[in-house]
Amino acid sequence: MLVHSRTGKWAARALFLVLFVPLFALPLLVILAASFATNWSGAFPSGPTAGHYTSAVRGESLQALTTSLVTALAASLLALTAGSWAALAAAALKKNGKRVLDALFMLPVAVPSVVVGLAVLVAFSQPPMLLNGTRWIVILAHTVLVTAFAYQSVSAAILRLDPVYEQAAASLGARPSYVLWKVKLPLLLPSLNAAAGLCFALSMGELSATMMLYPPDWMPLPVQIFTATDRGSLFTGSAVAVVLMGTTLLVLLAVSRIRTRASFR
Amino acid sequence: MRADHGPDRPVAAAPAGRPAGHHPERPSGAAPAGRPVGHRPARSAAEPHRPGRPAAKSPRAAPRWIWALPPVAVLALGFLYPLGLVVQQSFSPDEGGTSVEPSVEPYAEVFASEAFREALSTTVWLAVGATVGCLVLGFVLALVIAFVPFPGGKAVAKFIDVFLSFPSFLITLALLFIYGTVGMANGVWTDVTGAAEGPFHFLTTPWGVLLAEITYFTPFVMRPLLAAFSQLDTAQLEVASSLGAKPARIIRQVILPEALPALAAGGSLVLVMCLNEFGIVLFTGAKGVTTLPMLVYSKAILESDYPAACVVAVVNIAISVGLYSLYRVVSRRVGA
Amino acid sequence: MTSGIRFDNVSVAYGGNTVLDSLDLTVEPGEVMALLGPSGSGKTTALRAVAGFVQPVSGRVFIGERDVTRLPPYRRGIGMVVQQYALFPHLRVEDNVAFGLKAQKAVKDEIPGRVAEALDMTGMASYAKRYPRELSGGQQQRVAIARALAIRPGVLLLDEPLSALDAQLRSGMLAELARLHRELPDVSILYVTHDQVEALTLADRIAVMDKARLQDCGTPQQLYRRPTTEFTASFVGNANLLPVTVGGEGAGVVSFAGTSLNVATGGATSGATATLCVRPHLVGLGEGPNALRGTVTEVQWRGATHRLYVDVGGHRLKADLRELRATPELGEEVTVHFAAEDAVLLGAGVSDG
Repeated sequence: MLVHSRTGKWAARALFLVLFVPLFALPLLVILAASFATNWSGAFPSGPTAGHYTSAVRGESLQALTTSLVTALAASLLALTAGSWAALAAAALKKNGKRVLDALFMLPVAVPSVVVGLAVLVAFSQPPMLLNGTRWIVILAHTVLVTAFAYQSVSAAILRLDPVYEQAAASLGARPSYVLWKVKLPLLLPSLNAAAGLCFALSMGELSATMMLYPPDWMPLPVQIFTATDRGSLFTGSAVAVVLMGTTLLVLLAVSRIRTRASFR
Repeated sequence: MRADHGPDRPVAAAPAGRPAGHHPERPSGAAPAGRPVGHRPARSAAEPHRPGRPAAKSPRAAPRWIWALPPVAVLALGFLYPLGLVVQQSFSPDEGGTSVEPSVEPYAEVFASEAFREALSTTVWLAVGATVGCLVLGFVLALVIAFVPFPGGKAVAKFIDVFLSFPSFLITLALLFIYGTVGMANGVWTDVTGAAEGPFHFLTTPWGVLLAEITYFTPFVMRPLLAAFSQLDTAQLEVASSLGAKPARIIRQVILPEALPALAAGGSLVLVMCLNEFGIVLFTGAKGVTTLPMLVYSKAILESDYPAACVVAVVNIAISVGLYSLYRVVSRRVGA
Repeated sequence: MTSGIRFDNVSVAYGGNTVLDSLDLTVEPGEVMALLGPSGSGKTTALRAVAGFVQPVSGRVFIGERDVTRLPPYRRGIGMVVQQYALFPHLRVEDNVAFGLKAQKAVKDEIPGRVAEALDMTGMASYAKRYPRELSGGQQQRVAIARALAIRPGVLLLDEPLSALDAQLRSGMLAELARLHRELPDVSILYVTHDQVEALTLADRIAVMDKARLQDCGTPQQLYRRPTTEFTASFVGNANLLPVTVGGEGAGVVSFAGTSLNVATGGATSGATATLCVRPHLVGLGEGPNALRGTVTEVQWRGATHRLYVDVGGHRLKADLRELRATPELGEEVTVHFAAEDAVLLGAGVSDG
């Protein structure tokens, strides 16, 4: 369309590959390759082994995986509830009220995650809410961080929702609560699903705030990867990273499966 | 949209996204065949009450803002209150001293320190540099994906979505294998030239962080750009090239103006995210690269100097939130 | 069960912009009232005020004897069908139709029967298990009507229900709606449309709207044969609107472009300016009563008819004639005429337009 000559087209594609492959595809491939290697001091890794995986799915690493899964699941469910509720409430408000709610719930995106971690640490290290040292402080911080994304995507979905459905339901005598349960939420289901997937993925990879406040007995995967690489065990770290990426991908895939089944149009 | 099965399904059916009841009268017949986002601003610039909701004026019904209270209360407890504490602590010279008079002493102390000033300037130039890099790279890549179709283009777009769902520090981890002291690039160099060691040592310098940030954040620019390009009428490009315009001219005069809002929105988002980035810097493990988030971490966790950490945090918040508000204003104005 | 609709001085404004200006209108129980007007005339706003989706800034809306002005839509007991059908995409046809019954907590055992009845009435019984996306536009519209009828509303609001259908389906659905109304004689129907054919075919009375105001209201026959305003004359059917001066050589005479015409002037003051409305299809070619001479400026062949544009003293006159064997040349001088009883004098008595 833009480039008409054959050579021009191929030149553009070549440029794309030269930029795209080393920058984006290579890093992921490198991690994958490294996770199966024992040594990498030349062009290619050497000493193929699956040993890192046997250690990545047992003991400490397995515990980190379950920690991450539980944290991500809890945080994304809490965030989805709070975010959707807020988005639905905001949509019913007048312009100024909606603006205030938008600003409040988008704020955690703008505040650095490290600062969110620090703030949660400062606030919940003193009575009456002494959560420091428990898993709850990690889950709380993750929830705060991903709620903004849940709010944002559900808000966008509500905006796209045609008001005629709601009006048709109201004209048929359905009160607002009935409209919410029987019309709006079912129609929003695909978006809620997508939001849940997004929150889950974000929580799975969250490192910044977690570094500030994880207790020794609740160490999620990203922290595990960091401590492994910090010790110099780059290859073990890579294997754990592959486990992290694989789990995230599997969950996202499952979510998108549910989503296609739930979309009506 | 509804499926279009029947033979008598009219072309002019109204799009589902139309803000019905928005206009006092809908235009007769076909709905406006505009760009799908075209009517979004109209909705927000709308009449005071959205007609979709019943005006619950009966005495029994609670006002609508009641429903906004529970989530706001949760947010206040989990986020706003802690944030307030951080600000409060940044004004208290001694840790945990709630009775101490507020003072700006911690600020004076932190601002005076060399480490802080260096972290501030490193953070800003890294963020600006990464943003510029992301914009250029993202624009070129999005251009090729959108306008020079090739097999697998769809897969690339999918890949970008997946890429966005991975944590940032993975990039640094991968770069360690590629450009590390004993990594791929240096390995190839020593193999080819026979030298004792390779030339790539930038990974522990700010340049390593810059490379990682550009790599990780470029997709954040590409996504809005691809969305903007998909709305560009290809007929415009065809007309332009039929009038004899060369690709460079088409890009400058047709595509770039159309992409500017998306570039602005994506760029400011990336700028904010770079300012706040922590994982990439942490994984680099370089003592020479300290950014504001890194400083917050080291002050609080490594040195247990909470007032100083809070001061740095407040500065970081001020910069990020300021820029983020700008981003929201820009993106709202352009409807991206 | 029988309940009409009454607008009592209803005004609606959006941010200082009045979109419905002091509407007074009554729809009798069992009557079909068409709200006819161009876009922006306020007709949809009027319907939405009845449904409760817009709040009047002043005035009151009654359904039956009930003042519903401040009631939320779900307590108004209306049935509504809109242009985009708005069928719930996640529900089967039968569940769409049952929606209102379930929402209003109808007796459980009655619901299947009433759903079947409503689907039967619209001829959609065999599609009960389908999803809306599996239906054509016309079928979706029938389901939307069945859904509105299932709750047995006293008032049915139809908002441009046929405008998303193509021409052929539209005339079929028009006949269908007329049949439905015969079967449900107690239901009052408010029918918003911009299409005069729909209004003339279906309505017992037509309310003509323009510029946020009610311009005219009457039976289709009244509005078509005896329009009282220029807007009605031109919007309900086609019209030649000729500027004339009342009087001249006695009663029942007006002068147009220097020619005297014999028409019923009623009690119009002599010397007043007025507008004479003559339907194009009632204009004949050749000599006759009220003959006018002019030159042909355009000839359009429309299959069954020819449309002639004739310039008479600087005024353009339209004539719809049964297909002509020999068409006049452009610029040819012709004579056209019309019967005195086919002309209506508008705005007489007003000394200056």
